[in-house]
Amino acid sequence: MMSELLDRLVRDFGVTDITERPPAITTLKVSKENGERLIRELRDREGFTHLNFIACTDWIEDGIFRLIYMLHNYDSKQNLGVHIDIKRDHAEMTSIHTLWAQAWTYQRELREMYGIHFPGSPRLEEDFCLEGWDAMPPMRRDFDTAKYSAERFGHREGRVSLVPRDHMKVQLYPNRGGDES
Amino acid sequence: MNLKDLLSPFYVWQRAFEKPYTSIRPIQERPGAAAYRGFHINISEECIGCGTCHKICQNDAIDMVRVETYEGRSGDSGLRPRFDYGRCCWCALCVDMCPAGSLRMSNEYTWITSDPTEFHFTAGVEHTTWQDNPLGYHRAEGYHLYPPKRIEMEMLPPEVSVQSFDEVVAGYSEPQALLEADRCIECGICVATCPAHMDVPDYIRSIRDRDYEKGLQLMYRTNPFPATCGRICTRRCESVCPVGIQGEAIAIRWLKRFIVDQIQPQDYARILADQTGNSGHRVAIIGAGPGGLSAAYYLRKQGHAVTVFEAQASAGGMLRYGVPSYRLPDADLDKDINYIVSLGVDIRYNTRIGKDIRFEQLLQDFDALFLSTGLSVPSSMRIHGEEHPRVLSGLQVLADVASGRDPGVGQKVAVIGGGNVAMDAARVSRRLGAEVTILYRRRIADMPADTEEIHESQEEGCHIVTQAIPVEIIAASSPQQVSIKWGEAEMVQDPKGGRPRPVLQEDRMHVETYDCIISAIGQGSDLEFLSKEIQDQLAIEWGKFAPGEYQHTSLQKVFVGGDVANRTADAISAIEDGHHAARGIDRFLNPDARTHTDQEVN
Repeated sequence: MMSELLDRLVRDFGVTDITERPPAITTLKVSKENGERLIRELRDREGFTHLNFIACTDWIEDGIFRLIYMLHNYDSKQNLGVHIDIKRDHAEMTSIHTLWAQAWTYQRELREMYGIHFPGSPRLEEDFCLEGWDAMPPMRRDFDTAKYSAERFGHREGRVSLVPRDHMKVQLYPNRGGDES
Repeated sequence: MNLKDLLSPFYVWQRAFEKPYTSIRPIQERPGAAAYRGFHINISEECIGCGTCHKICQNDAIDMVRVETYEGRSGDSGLRPRFDYGRCCWCALCVDMCPAGSLRMSNEYTWITSDPTEFHFTAGVEHTTWQDNPLGYHRAEGYHLYPPKRIEMEMLPPEVSVQSFDEVVAGYSEPQALLEADRCIECGICVATCPAHMDVPDYIRSIRDRDYEKGLQLMYRTNPFPATCGRICTRRCESVCPVGIQGEAIAIRWLKRFIVDQIQPQDYARILADQTGNSGHRVAIIGAGPGGLSAAYYLRKQGHAVTVFEAQASAGGMLRYGVPSYRLPDADLDKDINYIVSLGVDIRYNTRIGKDIRFEQLLQDFDALFLSTGLSVPSSMRIHGEEHPRVLSGLQVLADVASGRDPGVGQKVAVIGGGNVAMDAARVSRRLGAEVTILYRRRIADMPADTEEIHESQEEGCHIVTQAIPVEIIAASSPQQVSIKWGEAEMVQDPKGGRPRPVLQEDRMHVETYDCIISAIGQGSDLEFLSKEIQDQLAIEWGKFAPGEYQHTSLQKVFVGGDVANRTADAISAIEDGHHAARGIDRFLNPDARTHTDQEVN
């Protein structure tokens, strides 16, 4: 039955990369343009009435964010992960808060953590868990955590860290090695 | 007011001893989930202080601090991670990255104190209640942030390698080298272990940056024999590589070779741009092996005139006459040597000190001397009949082959010994078409030869007989042959806890006839060129020099190094001895240039 469905999704929505992930997750990929339409179809006609979550992965090397919509069918106990790649620059995706009211919360989180815009999604610009955040969204892989924490947070007094290689030179072979020749 | 109202406060008490419907807070503890990422645990005994946790921490929450208990251990920096919980975000990257596998997390998450300067501790060193907690986050078995296996090296198959003296190891291609270089975590623990203290993480980085010229420059800071060491180094660095704890060590030697192989000899002068001035001082070096030529290289860079006296017809010492070309091709050894010579090093070949020139003459003519004469005298088996003409020395066989002479080993050969010379003599004999048996008095695990050499000699068809003690050499019926009587040995535990000792079993003797017997049980120094008087002044113990801090001796202006002056007796130690002697000689020749922090040399 699943394979019949998948065949139809390939035909009607141009779905690709269908992957079985045991025990009961199937993932597939669909274009950004067909994404909302596909999810709506799955909810309204195919019994995938529950939205488990929306997640995101930053594939910075490929210049994309991959959105993962995990849907559940209570009757068949099937999980279907819909993967949608969107461009990292000016990242934007159709909101699905009209399909599931709770989706706006996920979208608000994705806006905060990755900077992805979902036009029309309620309260999208409100802080979610990062109150007063004014830097690059922190889950983007080009966010430099170490640099950020060095700039923003105070330093505990008396902290000193030794470099293993240099420390061993001082301890074990102070007059040797490549520093003098 | 009625009676009920009056009594009602007391009715409450009737429930005082029933089980409550509510839970007691906050007294009841709520443990974290079994794999919760709570407070850190470090097994300090397993930690080697590589600092990778410090480096990967995105919040600058980990410092590497001295812990005296762990100082002075091999392959251990003596530092341990100290956590600042004002910064930690419990992401567990440090746990996932830890090459030693010593770092993990407990599922404890409450630490209550009124002092905000706490929350700062050296895990596994300072006492914590969670150090022995078995729960908490562990890195999953088999999960690594870098590939634990090294990129395999292509080699000639043994049935092909045994047919010629062609190099057995193919060397990495660029894509292979890039993948292997990418496994290095740049901790630098290896640098202390390398006798020459080569800048290993830096030259591996130069591969990642595809800047091989930079790599060559870095290697020459500490080692003017990189083409050689990239092939035959004993690579102690790899034995302490932290990546090797849970996987396979970085192939440091092959990466070094890769860099050198990318550079043409004619480009060395431009890339290295070594300056050689003229200090007006003249230094004599005895022996053109790795120690002597390493000293020559660094002395020339200091501007001193260098004359090397070499008894043989070519330079390289054991590298040329002891290491067969299937492990170190002449062209690659020459790549190293020719560059050193190109800096204006004068080598007097076929000149033996003590015979062609007196040692005292050198003492008189030169401002400083460096002795690096190696170990050239084969050790005796100390058995009856060993002076038989069909008993050859391993060193002689290897030297003959290196010089293009036929050592005349015949068709059926026995090699006595378990070191690299024995393995090489055996493999050379195989290439000359002989059937080879190696007799060794202990077990394979006890052999001093490199594991790879033992393995490759077996693959090439050498038959190893262990626990076999030579007893006597007997003349055979033909003068072209020789017989050996050997006895089986039992390994007997040393009651004092030393290594097990082979004990000859008198009732299990064998006699076998061969075309020749190659003795390769070790070699000693030849110090005949020094007069008794000078030998006495040089503090010689067991045929070896015991040099001071800067390779100096009690005889002013005489410095020593290489196999004749160290216990490790390998190329890389000789190279470092030469380098360090050059420092010592420079300080001796230019005492005014010493800074106030320097120690006295003589």
